[in-house]
Amino acid sequence: MMNALLLVVLALLTAFQQQDERPRQGTYAITNAKIETVANGTIERGTIVIEGDRIVAVGTNVTIPAGAEIIDAAGMEVYPGMIDSGTSLGLSEVGSVAETNDTNEIGDITPHMNALTAVNPNAVAIPVTRTNGITTVIAEPSGGLFPGSAAVINLIGYTPEQMQAGSARLMVLEFPRKQQRRFFFGGGDGERDDPDKRYNDAMAKLDEIWERATVYDRIAAAWDKDPTGKDRPAYVPEMDALRPVLAGDLTLMVKVDAADDIEAAIEWVQKQELSNVVFSGVSEGWRVADKLAEAGIPVFAGPVLATPTRASDRYDRAYDNAAIMHNAGVSVALRSGETENVRNLPFNAGFAAAYGMGREAALEAVTLAPARMLGIDADYGSIEVGKKANLFVSTGDPFETQSQIVTLFIDGFNVPITNRHIELYEEFLNRDAGRKQPVEVLPADN
Amino acid sequence: MNRNSRNIILAILLMAVAPHSSVAQDVLLKGGTVLTVSQGTLQNTDVLIEDGVISSIGRGLRAPRGVETVDVSGKFVMPGIIDAHSHIALSSVNEGSSPVTAEVRMEDVTNPYHLGIYRALAGGVTTSHIMHGSANVIGGQNETIKHRWGATDPDAIRFEGAPRTIKFALGENPTRVHGRRGSGGTGAIVPATRMGVEQVLRDAFENGKRYMEDWDAFNASTDPRAIPPVYNERLEVMADILRGDVLVHCHSYRADEILMLTRVLKDYGVSKITFQHANEAFKVAPELAEYGAMASVFSDWWSYKFEVYYSTAFNAAILTRNGVVTSINSDSGELNRHLYHEAAKSQRYGDLTDDETLALITINPAIQLGIQDRVGSLEVGKDGDVAVFSAHPLSVYAIAEMTYVDGVKYFDRNEDRDDMRMLVSPSANLDTYIEQETGRHDIHEVIIK
Amino acid sequence: MYIRTGSRVLALLLATLGLAQAAHAQNDSPDIPSVTGTWALQNVRIVQAPGRVIDSGTVVLRNGVITAVGRRVDIPYDARIMDGGDSLTVVAGFIDALSNVGVPEPARQNNLPAISDRSNPPNDRAGIQPERDVRDMLDPTHDSVDAYRKLGFTAAQVVPHGGMLPGTGAVVLLDASGMRYGDPTVQFMEFEGARGMYPGTPMGIMAKMRQLYRESERRMRIEALYADNPAGLSRPVEDPVHDAFFPVISGDRPLLIHTTDALEVRRAYDMQAALGFSMMLSGLSGGFDVMDAIKTAGTPVALTLAVPEKADWMEKVKDDSLASILENYDPDVRTATFRDTEAERRNLEALQLQSRQKFLAMPAGFATAGIDFAFTSYGVKTKDIAANIQAFMAEGLSSDDALAALTTHAAAFIGVSDVMGSIDTGKMANLTLVTGDLFSKDMKVRTVFVDGRPTHYTP
Repeated sequence: MMNALLLVVLALLTAFQQQDERPRQGTYAITNAKIETVANGTIERGTIVIEGDRIVAVGTNVTIPAGAEIIDAAGMEVYPGMIDSGTSLGLSEVGSVAETNDTNEIGDITPHMNALTAVNPNAVAIPVTRTNGITTVIAEPSGGLFPGSAAVINLIGYTPEQMQAGSARLMVLEFPRKQQRRFFFGGGDGERDDPDKRYNDAMAKLDEIWERATVYDRIAAAWDKDPTGKDRPAYVPEMDALRPVLAGDLTLMVKVDAADDIEAAIEWVQKQELSNVVFSGVSEGWRVADKLAEAGIPVFAGPVLATPTRASDRYDRAYDNAAIMHNAGVSVALRSGETENVRNLPFNAGFAAAYGMGREAALEAVTLAPARMLGIDADYGSIEVGKKANLFVSTGDPFETQSQIVTLFIDGFNVPITNRHIELYEEFLNRDAGRKQPVEVLPADN
Repeated sequence: MNRNSRNIILAILLMAVAPHSSVAQDVLLKGGTVLTVSQGTLQNTDVLIEDGVISSIGRGLRAPRGVETVDVSGKFVMPGIIDAHSHIALSSVNEGSSPVTAEVRMEDVTNPYHLGIYRALAGGVTTSHIMHGSANVIGGQNETIKHRWGATDPDAIRFEGAPRTIKFALGENPTRVHGRRGSGGTGAIVPATRMGVEQVLRDAFENGKRYMEDWDAFNASTDPRAIPPVYNERLEVMADILRGDVLVHCHSYRADEILMLTRVLKDYGVSKITFQHANEAFKVAPELAEYGAMASVFSDWWSYKFEVYYSTAFNAAILTRNGVVTSINSDSGELNRHLYHEAAKSQRYGDLTDDETLALITINPAIQLGIQDRVGSLEVGKDGDVAVFSAHPLSVYAIAEMTYVDGVKYFDRNEDRDDMRMLVSPSANLDTYIEQETGRHDIHEVIIK
Repeated sequence: MYIRTGSRVLALLLATLGLAQAAHAQNDSPDIPSVTGTWALQNVRIVQAPGRVIDSGTVVLRNGVITAVGRRVDIPYDARIMDGGDSLTVVAGFIDALSNVGVPEPARQNNLPAISDRSNPPNDRAGIQPERDVRDMLDPTHDSVDAYRKLGFTAAQVVPHGGMLPGTGAVVLLDASGMRYGDPTVQFMEFEGARGMYPGTPMGIMAKMRQLYRESERRMRIEALYADNPAGLSRPVEDPVHDAFFPVISGDRPLLIHTTDALEVRRAYDMQAALGFSMMLSGLSGGFDVMDAIKTAGTPVALTLAVPEKADWMEKVKDDSLASILENYDPDVRTATFRDTEAERRNLEALQLQSRQKFLAMPAGFATAGIDFAFTSYGVKTKDIAANIQAFMAEGLSSDDALAALTTHAAAFIGVSDVMGSIDTGKMANLTLVTGDLFSKDMKVRTVFVDGRPTHYTP
């Protein structure tokens, strides 16, 4: 009799546990927490109430709704979910296995390719990432001149559309490089012929594409306005994809790193009268920080944990690159540039903070600053009433490795803190010894 | 060209010719928090280094005459970090044309001019194990170096007396390089599978054993007309491994191949083995502990190849808790600049204590390289290899400020010039942009010229 | 007969009037028979060797040998006379210590059979061909022979084209009628990896060298045993590669190792320490840091005539402002922000200029350190040789030291000091006649005698 009861209790417990391992929305109150709102300073000891996908209350004197699940965060800290403004997360599963890589489509001019389509909501790296407090990322296509549009995704959802963070999208332009690629260990692209010619050809191609896009836009606009009496315009999906960029509705994200390339890119976007622009990478942005500030171009800078771009540079040049730009008045968000280790974004931010940016600016560079640049700051980037519940509870400063993230909310879903790395840890920390005796070898005539 | 400039140039030339002084020095580091690693943390404690060796650790030490006193109050003093897997300071990495190249030596291509040495110093690293690449099942012999930046003679940066080590590699890299090559005029050769890898190992060991026996017989022979056996340096090195004179460091990932190597080594009586990377070592931690095998792993690299798809960043923690001597290495000219931070990740991914974590980059790699008597902890009698940090090195905000090797300060964040190159190209474009090494792991390009 | 006598008298008259016959001399056409093997070069400035100059004198050569040198020497009755008019300087014909002159590059072979096992390729495919003899590859009609002679070269030590061990070298004369001079001089080696097969890397090359050498030593012992008494022994296996090493092992033939940077020089010394062969070095580009080692070891060296390419920005700067760039170097410059990039740039220019000048000052540095050296054009474009020597001299190399590197020291390097390298009685008549200061921009090579046979070059 007792055994049967025990079994029932165990079964119930197991069922309850299984239910807990799926993300759940509901009504939550996180209490007694030190809250880093980012927008409105720090609340030393307060409460956050979450209902559905939104934050409905933040403060020291907050009424907790009846039936809310209480999460006591005494001694712990709450932060807005971090935003990584440059990754390939979800677009590539195993780097060396080409079949799993969806970042790079054939062709130099493929702005119509949509990275969101290729995001794998079940990428193993997604849970690995979010358990370090990153809730939202830009997933970028790459390769060629116009590789496609990058997606802005929350790290939760069963379909790519469910993952989308608002309707934010960015059109990627990989700006032509004056120099061929060179690697520190030697080797690189062989410069087959005149390097100036290669660059001039690439810039001419870019200008030509833009000019045709302008023509296409005019034709398409006229057709849209009144098709009567007109021949239908040609089907050019590439040019179609560029129309919203020309209109200023779709942000152009220019991938550019070397100092002279950045200067050329500034000149180019100004020539095209594009103001909805952000530069990404900008590893030598510090060299032209004044020009970037003057042009009012915001940047996604990073990775921070990288080697200098020049052999003659200070060894910590990549660490303080973001800080120099920030101090010069450039709007800076941080990117990891990672695929499977986007979880290192907070550590990139920690180094940026240590090497001149300061913790406050570094924290903003992975929360509110990218949210603003993406135009999603109405919903994301800080802990404020009315915004989406993207936040996490940490035992300490999330930039420090000693801290653990113990509670995670994305879009109001309470996401279990688990991933395959943690599962493997739990299984193998104290592994069963396994069978020790070798299997008896069967006789040869069997 | 006026006379003045000519004299300058000649002066520079003569300077370059002058032998590198300051091979071992004295210094008193006063009043820091000393993280000894072997004997806990000592607050407000002095470390005295004389003639390159730690002569005293304690409070209120006085600097002997002529010894500089450096005030490190408020700072943290730890043993110089040891990177057990690196490819800096090498003119060449992979002789990938043969699956067995035990005869090649990284000693022959040590490059003291490599800027990677300085950049590692700037992250508190004082010793690196510079290794052959992972193209071959049995690669070349590695070299252990000290970061004596500014020396122009490769011999001047060798870690004197460090045991010989050799690189093995299992899994996707050697099978891709040798067995799964594309066309291009040269054929694929064994191994193409993990089965082939085992056979290449067994072949090499067996041939090495027979070679050793043939030579032993010849040397013992009293026949004046005995013909010496064919000389084969490759097998000579295999024989040295069998004799226990060479420590094996094996690039490996999958749990099954790790166990395969322990079986082969056991069959041939080789006991000293450190598995490098060993992303799946955590799955066979008890077996490794039983064999006495050690592991030198990444902090968190995974998923860049299929054989590391089922990894966990908790690898180092699991191994440590199961009694395997574990270190964290960089295998990268980027990561080696913040190994203190990489080690600290085992406190996010696992619950290692501060001393256990620091051991991952100090005494443990020292043990794996057989140099634990000389370095890896701050103890009287050990080498004056020390790193000074602005804050506790396991904090993300810590900044390496000074690094000493044999009591000589080779890195000083405040004093050093920006441009620390030893060799300046007379021709390269001054704006030459070099692709950054980042946290992303690029599959090692196998260079076969 | 009257006319003939008259012509001869006319010729003598012209000669004594000092009209430089050289200016309008014709090269000996092959169909005009030679009339004499004796030449007298008079009223010439003679640089017998660096530091031994005769301001105005005469050199007599007969059948390829210098028979007289001096301020006043008797001119044999059968001598053809060349009058320098006191505008010609005669020096010993230049010697290139290591070169491919007269050795055509082999045609590219496109249909080679695929190598089945690149870990153990055939020796010839891996560049291991020490048994080859460069003398079998000479082509006196090759363009390079005249191109070098036009620069004043009369002899060279040449080696085959190839990989790490392309074969033995030999001394050759830059003589269209026949280049062969003597026996093989050196076993040549360079750190040139095999492409796509073993050994491809420097460490592979080092290991292969050790392996070849030690196995050759073993073979030598076996050969000796077998030759002494073959009874009961297996016949030794033939291997031309090992055979080629025997003279190196016995010390009869040095290994000449060509290096392209200081680290390769170190590798060469490491190999020598491990194996014990007699070593010579060539190249040594950027070898500032190994000067000490070379001086201590007394290794014979031939420095490269190569000079680093100028960086783009250097082309645009006037020579006098280059000096001020150097003086403006400031070690305290720190690039904290974008405001410091100008100062950074100035420092980078200074450092790069300094680096370039370090390379250019190296021969002068060797001379100052008392290290004798020859020059080698190996890997250098012919058209750059003269300008590069001028560049070395602009950074301190004296005219005498440059001359020594091309004559006396070069002759010592290739082992022909008894017959070449200076203008002395009894030596081979290899002479270079120039107008203008030696090695200056104005220097023009007028005539080059190789083994007593002249080639004239019109300006």
